[in-house]
Amino acid sequence: MPMKKKLNLAPAFFVGPHVILFVVFILLPTFYGIYASFTKWNLMNEPVWVGLDNYRTILFDSKSTFHTQFNNGLKNTFIFVLLSVPLLIIIPLLVAVALEHKKVKGKSLIQSIIYVPGLISISAGALIWLLLFNKQLGMAGNVFGSNVSWPAHQPYAWILVIIITIWGGVGGNMIIYRASISGVSQDLYESAEMDGAGTIRRFTSITLPSIRFPLIYTFVMTTAGAFNVFGQPLMMTDGGPRQSTHVLMMYIRQLAFGNGESIAGMASAMAVLLGLVILAISALQYYVMNRNAA
Amino acid sequence: MKKKWGLSVLTLVLMLSTVLAGCGKDNSKTITFWTPLTGDDGAYMDQLVKDYNATNPEIKVKHVITSDMYTKLSTVLNSGKGVPDLTIIHADRVPGYVKQGVLEPMTAVTAAQPEIKQENYLPQAWSTGTINGTQYTVPLDIHSNVMYYNKDLLKKYGAESFLDDNVVTIDEMLSLKGKLAEGDYVVNDALLGWVILAQIQNLGGDIQENGKPAVNTPVMKQAFEDVKKINDAGLMTPFGEDGYLMFQSGNVLFSTDGTWSSTAHAKVEGLNFGVTNVYSPTPDKFTNRSSSHLFTMMKNKDRSEEKVAGIGKFLEFIRENSIEWAKAGQIVASKQVNESPEFKNYMQSFFTSSEKEIKSLYIYTYEYYPYIAEAVDTYCGDIVRGNVDIDETLQTMQKFVEDKITEGTSGAAK
Amino acid sequence: MSNQMTQQYDKRPRVKEQAVKGKASGISISKYVSYLFLIVLCIIWIIPVIFGITTSFRSQSEVVSSGFRLFPKKWILENYTAILDNTSTAPILRWLMNSLFIATMHTLFVVVVISITGYGYSRMKFKGRDTLFFTLLGISFFPGVVNLIPSYKIIDALGWVNTSWAMIIPGLAGMGNIFLVRQFMNGIPKDLDESAHVDGAGHFRIYFSIIMPLVKPVLIVCALFSFTGSWNDFLWPVIVFTDVDKMPVTAGLLLLQDIYGNYRMIGQLMGSAVLAIIPTLLLFMFAQKYFVQSINLNSGIKG
Repeated sequence: MPMKKKLNLAPAFFVGPHVILFVVFILLPTFYGIYASFTKWNLMNEPVWVGLDNYRTILFDSKSTFHTQFNNGLKNTFIFVLLSVPLLIIIPLLVAVALEHKKVKGKSLIQSIIYVPGLISISAGALIWLLLFNKQLGMAGNVFGSNVSWPAHQPYAWILVIIITIWGGVGGNMIIYRASISGVSQDLYESAEMDGAGTIRRFTSITLPSIRFPLIYTFVMTTAGAFNVFGQPLMMTDGGPRQSTHVLMMYIRQLAFGNGESIAGMASAMAVLLGLVILAISALQYYVMNRNAA
Repeated sequence: MKKKWGLSVLTLVLMLSTVLAGCGKDNSKTITFWTPLTGDDGAYMDQLVKDYNATNPEIKVKHVITSDMYTKLSTVLNSGKGVPDLTIIHADRVPGYVKQGVLEPMTAVTAAQPEIKQENYLPQAWSTGTINGTQYTVPLDIHSNVMYYNKDLLKKYGAESFLDDNVVTIDEMLSLKGKLAEGDYVVNDALLGWVILAQIQNLGGDIQENGKPAVNTPVMKQAFEDVKKINDAGLMTPFGEDGYLMFQSGNVLFSTDGTWSSTAHAKVEGLNFGVTNVYSPTPDKFTNRSSSHLFTMMKNKDRSEEKVAGIGKFLEFIRENSIEWAKAGQIVASKQVNESPEFKNYMQSFFTSSEKEIKSLYIYTYEYYPYIAEAVDTYCGDIVRGNVDIDETLQTMQKFVEDKITEGTSGAAK
Repeated sequence: MSNQMTQQYDKRPRVKEQAVKGKASGISISKYVSYLFLIVLCIIWIIPVIFGITTSFRSQSEVVSSGFRLFPKKWILENYTAILDNTSTAPILRWLMNSLFIATMHTLFVVVVISITGYGYSRMKFKGRDTLFFTLLGISFFPGVVNLIPSYKIIDALGWVNTSWAMIIPGLAGMGNIFLVRQFMNGIPKDLDESAHVDGAGHFRIYFSIIMPLVKPVLIVCALFSFTGSWNDFLWPVIVFTDVDKMPVTAGLLLLQDIYGNYRMIGQLMGSAVLAIIPTLLLFMFAQKYFVQSINLNSGIKG
């Protein structure tokens, strides 16, 4: 490697401080969480080592409540991810592209309007949407004449959960795309225009390739975030009807911080399994997108 | 421009850090008192603490409201540092905490304060903290599932007679079938799980058999089926609609929510309401499933004897002066307060108006009650609305509770 | 997967500056399409916000009265006075100051940490660099459930319980912002700093004179995310603060909500939500003109 000797310490200086922070505040707690997944633990006593028992129960004991909860929770989480992630990528991307149009006025205002919901706390946001979809008090019944009780019937329950997620979630990705696209040289667009490339051509052949690195980031992080969902279904549907919107993180949190004695070992095992799923999927996403981008 | 911005941030930061410093306090001369009482409840408790501190006790009380108290308790108990001197916990936490050995008995407090004794409190509020003859808690209140009624609607539908014997039966409710205007309902589904647990008592059943959880039982099935009749007759507010708000909008005759809601209902102009017992399948018995806020001391070896003495004085003060707490809508546990004429001004005094009423306030003390309540809460909506097969779901619920018990550490590590 | 990020930035043809005069008709269509899309979206997005704000000026009686009204029949201030009057249990101004201090400090530290770390993972060459990065990233994907307990113990061991450090420092360990910065930096042609290297410039020079100006928009985005994230965190502060005077505002406002789930004063909840977002909203409005401002790789600054 064509490096001078004095540079050898430099990486430690640049990367090192964060590695220390990471070890103290993420690695140690995470290891403890993984350790807890091999124990029976109520958060207060000393954890009791049980080996792979928790995993065996969750994965293979088909009669166990934890097995059914895990399967149902994971299934619902996947549904949530598949429904929400594409929208959380495409809508902000379209917004960013539309905002990039030179002739569009009031960009700051539009941007602010789309970003604001992300600042509102989930409990307030959920209450707003529940009131809007309330048959008697809201818009859905009084303005649009909907006669359904949304949180209690499918597919409306999912639609409700997805709506509040999209509403609150597009702002972040939008500003990432805005920041990325504004870095794309205007010259590229102009010459493409001279060559007679249409809007869609310019989008696919200039915009997308130029922002592919941030795009990979948003895809991976949005997906990982979606797997961790629990606030939206908890507040909007409380997992119903018939636990069809009961996502895995809700089960995990109930086990660890529910009303009775905590079942934190089992909860940790479920969390580790969820972590492995997230890991596998984000690695796949990264690999595929990075290769296609090359 | 950039420099200036950086400079002003720096100044701000320095200014604030000086503001933030110098907040350290000596903890040996204060009783740290944690409560989960957020919202207005916290303000009422704050007032009580202020009143007590105004009596110039040797050790003052510092009230800390915590929005996620049980999680926070787990963290401090686990690390053994920062454990509060005094805490308010809910009744259903007591058996678990005692079993895990994290509660200090109240023996020293009751020994020093002769008036802090069973006879001076509502009996079930006191006894919920008695485990194997040891007293672990002193009660503040009973808060209960109750049934509010809309006076105007009762009149409109000629249903005032339902209230005559203080028991609204399911049959009485069913008699309104077909008589209601569109958009009106007889009862909502607020705290439905608690309502079901009350019916089990009304039907003479229980949630345990010789210490084993009993969920999949004929009584439980009966309880669900009785309540389901109301739904099947179209008299219950629709699934997924906010029945609590519908009661406040004046579209529902009865609302099965909590004692604490009376203050919120009172803020709705034009809502003319009263309170009675939760409905029952039989005129012979009625039950209001209740819980209690209990003072307790979490194990903490740093808690000095002086502090324990101070805690005793504070609890005695509460026993004598907690009329303030009635403002929160709760049934104050101290007899000196709940038998006073002033307490009669509060709507919830209905539940201390007779021996029978006091008895109707039922607190479950079974150690695995929290798991059973969780199972009932998770599945009751779908059962009552007929979304699921009742027998199959009861089996699932039984298994749900049993699995949680076996996985709990107290079930395994002895 | 260690080498896949070191591949060459594809060298797309540099285009000469050319004045574009005639506008193709396709542009005007896309302008209207853009407008239509943005306006429809904004309407859908703003209605709940307006409804939430106006609800904070409604009495409970009006909230529960049938029929939908975007604006209240009668505007009342009681929800706000109820929040602001409660100065004993809820010192809101104090909370706002605390939050401002915590979020500002956190954000300043974040910008420093992600700058140097992102640069390290993107621009420096050392053995196992990508392996290290992806390992840390992968670990950070594990959902933290019981992590609360060890995290509290660590904070306790550091003596940070009940201090602002407990809020300012742990968040710096996160991987999200570093990942984002690294991705941005990877999009910058390597030949830019390689030629500077040849000219004898050190890493700091290269970072400050070449890389940082180019990634400034993303640093601002990260700063915005960090500030907002720190401001809105309400789980962790509840665990590490006991002193109500030291609470940040988002956690503090939770103390004003009733404990009984839905059974609360709706207008008051909306009021506290409105109060809590004003500072972050102002920050966004201030910051937004900066994160779209970028420096052209070829020429000077453009707006």
